[in-house]
Amino acid sequence: MNAKTITIANLTALVDDLVASGTCVTAPARAAGGKVDYRPITSFPEAAFNTELPRRSLKEFFLPPTEPLFSWRLGGPGIRISEVTTSFAPHVILGARPCDAAAVEILDRVMGWDYRDELWFGRREATTILSVACPGVDGSCFCTATGRGPESSRGSDVMLTPLGDVFLADVVTPKGETFVGENAKRFDDARGAAVTDGASRTSNAAAVGQPKLPLPEVQRWLAHGFDHELWSTIALACHGCGACASVCPTCHCFDIVDEPEGVLSGTRRRNWDTCQAARFTVHASGHNPRADQAARLRQRVMHKFWIYPSRFGEVLCTGCGRCARACSAGVDLPEVLRTITALAAPGGPEEAAV
Amino acid sequence: MTQLQELARTLLSEAAVGVVIGWEEGPRGARPAFVTDPARADRLIFDRRCTANLATYLSPRRTHLAPLGKAAVVVKGCDARAVAGLIRETQIRREDVVLIGVRCGGVLADPASTAPLTADTVADRCPGCQAREPGLADHVVGDLPPAPPGEATRDALIARLDASSPSERWAFWMREFSRCVRCNACREVCPMCFCERCVADKTQPQWLESSPHPRGNLAWHLTRALHQAGRCADCGECARACPAGIPLGLLNRKIAQIVAERFDYRTGDDPSVPAPIGTYSLSDRQEFIL
Amino acid sequence: MPTPAERTLAFEPRMSAFVCNWCTYTGADLAGTSRLQMAPNVRIIRLPCTGRIDPLFVIKAFERGADGVIVSGCHPADCHYTSGNYHARRRFAVFKELVEFVGVAPERLTFSWVSASEGQKWRDVVNDATARVRRLGPFDAYRALAGRRG
Repeated sequence: MNAKTITIANLTALVDDLVASGTCVTAPARAAGGKVDYRPITSFPEAAFNTELPRRSLKEFFLPPTEPLFSWRLGGPGIRISEVTTSFAPHVILGARPCDAAAVEILDRVMGWDYRDELWFGRREATTILSVACPGVDGSCFCTATGRGPESSRGSDVMLTPLGDVFLADVVTPKGETFVGENAKRFDDARGAAVTDGASRTSNAAAVGQPKLPLPEVQRWLAHGFDHELWSTIALACHGCGACASVCPTCHCFDIVDEPEGVLSGTRRRNWDTCQAARFTVHASGHNPRADQAARLRQRVMHKFWIYPSRFGEVLCTGCGRCARACSAGVDLPEVLRTITALAAPGGPEEAAV
Repeated sequence: MTQLQELARTLLSEAAVGVVIGWEEGPRGARPAFVTDPARADRLIFDRRCTANLATYLSPRRTHLAPLGKAAVVVKGCDARAVAGLIRETQIRREDVVLIGVRCGGVLADPASTAPLTADTVADRCPGCQAREPGLADHVVGDLPPAPPGEATRDALIARLDASSPSERWAFWMREFSRCVRCNACREVCPMCFCERCVADKTQPQWLESSPHPRGNLAWHLTRALHQAGRCADCGECARACPAGIPLGLLNRKIAQIVAERFDYRTGDDPSVPAPIGTYSLSDRQEFIL
Repeated sequence: MPTPAERTLAFEPRMSAFVCNWCTYTGADLAGTSRLQMAPNVRIIRLPCTGRIDPLFVIKAFERGADGVIVSGCHPADCHYTSGNYHARRRFAVFKELVEFVGVAPERLTFSWVSASEGQKWRDVVNDATARVRRLGPFDAYRALAGRRG
C-alpha cells in the first residue's frame, strides 16, 4: 500500500476528467425525494459521501436487477441468436462504503466457482472502486463482526480516508495503482505520520459501538440447529417480502426467464430473485420443500452464516445492517445472531428467549 | 400494567386465544409481537411508533402462524379496515378472531424514529383520520389522543399530478417505477393481497412479465392497483415496505378517490358493506363510453 | 380517411379491439356485410362478453405494439349474460382513470356500446378512434420501455 493524498479541489477535477473522457462515475448521491442512492454523477459536488447509507448496495452494478443473456429471432432458415456483450465501458465507483465494496469481492467467489460468470466479471474488470472510510451509520451496523470494518479496504481498489479538506488515498490493488497512475496529476504523496494516525483515529471510533458476534460459533451452532424452535419463533413476523434480499450487498440469487416479444422473437433474461419468496422452491409438481416462512428464513440465515462460509471460507454478509433497516416487520438479523450466540454459549439457555 | 397488557394477559390465561398479536419494543423501534405466554403480556406496547398493520398476520397464507391457535389482534382504526376486508372476502370468519381496538392519534411514518408526532413525521394517511376509535372491535382500550397533526399532503400531490400533462405524469411514474426491482414486498405485506396464486406468478400463460424493466414494472403496478380498487384499507404498509421508496400510497389513494367519486364508496370497517368491484349499479356513470 | 398514397407514407396506427361476441362483434359483421368503408387498422379479438375483458388484455396489447385499443360491448340492459357489461363498466371506469393518471394519453383508449344492429356506429367508432390515434402518433413511449434497463 503506498499512500497518496488528494485535495477536494483535485477530486472535483478528477471527476470532471473522468466524465469528460466518457467514463461513467457512480457515487452516493441524493435522488429526487432526498434519499441517497448510488447514482451516476457528472460532478463531484453531487456526491453525498458518508451521509445516510445508500438505499441499495453496489451489487446492481455487477448483477443488474434484470439483465439480458441473449435474444432470439425466428425466421429464414432457422433461429438467430444474438449474444450480449461481455465487455463493458469503463466505470468508476467513487465513495463506496467499505461494507459494499467488501461484498463485491465476496461474491467473486461464487461467481467464479464452478463456471466463470462472464457478465459479472466483465463488469468487474471495467470497474474501479474507490471507497471512503466510514463513520458508521447506526446501531444496526455490525461490519466488524463479519471480519470487515469501517476502515476495511477489502474489495476496494483505492481507499480514501477523509481528513478535513484532504483525503488520504491508499492504493490497495494493481487496478488501483493503474488508476492513480493514470490520474497522477490529481494525487500528491502523503506526508507525515500525523496523516496516517489521524486516519485510524477517525475510523476506529465507528467500530467501537458495534456488537461482538462470534460468527465461527454461530456457524458451528447452525450446522446442528436445523430443527431448533428458534426458526418458527423469529419467522412469525416475517412477511416473506424479500425487501431484505433486494437491499443486501451479498444476496445474489436470480431467476432465468424467457421473455417473448411477439411470436417471433424474445430475450432470455436473468432477474433478481429471493429465497424468501414462497415460490422460490416450488417444484413443478406443486410440492414446496420450504413450505413456510420459518423454513425460508432459516435458509437465509444458514446460507449466509454456515453454507457459504463452509464452501468459500467467507460469511455471505458484510454487516451493513440494511436488512434490519429495510424490514417493515422488525425482523432483525443482528438480534438473531445475538440470540444464536447466546444459544451457542456453553451452558446457554435451551429455549430462545424471544 | 396498561389496559392493553391486562386484557392480553386475561385473554391468554383464560385460553380465550392462543396468541395476542400486537406491538413490542424491538431493536429498531416498535415492531409486531406474538405473545403466547400470559406472563409476557407486558411486552405489548402502544404508542406513536406502532405504525405496522397487524391484520396481514390473519391472512390464511400465514401457515406458520396457524399452530399458535386462535388470535387476538390489536388494531388501529385503519388496521380494522383491513380486517373487515378479510372478513368481507371470506378469508377469515369474524368469530375466529378477537379484535382489540386501540384509540389512536396518528402514528409516525417511521417506527424506528423517536421524534415527536408532527406534521413532518406523521404517516401520510393519518391527517384527517375518521377512524381514530376502531368500530370493528371486541374491546377498545386506551384514551383518545388528540387528532393527528398535519394536512393531507397526498391529495395535494395527486391534484398536482392531475393538473400536469400526460407526458409529465408518464415521466414521473416511469422515474418512480424505474427503481422497482420486483421484490414484491408491496404484495407480501398487504393484508388484501391474499391470493394463493398471484396473477403475477402465473406462467401458463404469463400475463405479467416478471422482469424489473419499466415495461414489466408498469404492468405489475397497474395490475396491483386495480386489484386493490375498493379493497385497499389505506394502511400504508406497501409504501413503507418498499425498499426503493416508490410512492405506492399515491397510486392507491388515487384509486380510492376514483372509487369514492364514481361509486360513493369508501373502504370502511363494516364487513357487511359489499365491495364496489364485483358489484354494480344500474346508474353507474358511463360518460366515458361512446 | 387517408388516401392510399397517404397511407403508404404516413404513420398508420395499429389498433386492437376487444369486443363482445353477441353485440359488437355481430355489429362489426353487419358493417362488413353492409360494405361500409372504414379504416382497416383494427384487429378484432372476440370474447363472449365485455365482462370477460381483463384490463391486462389492454395492457398486453399496448406492450405488444398496439397504438390504440377499443373495448366495446352490449348496451346496458342488453347483455347476453345479463350483467357482464355492468361489471365491465365499473371495472373500466377505474382502469381508464388509472391509466390516464399514469400518463397514457386518454385518446388511445376507446370504450363503446355497439349493438348487433349498429353497423354504422361501429364504423364511426373505428374511424374516430383510428383518427385520434393517428393524430397522436405511435405509442413509442410504451414500446421503448423494455429497452431502458438492459
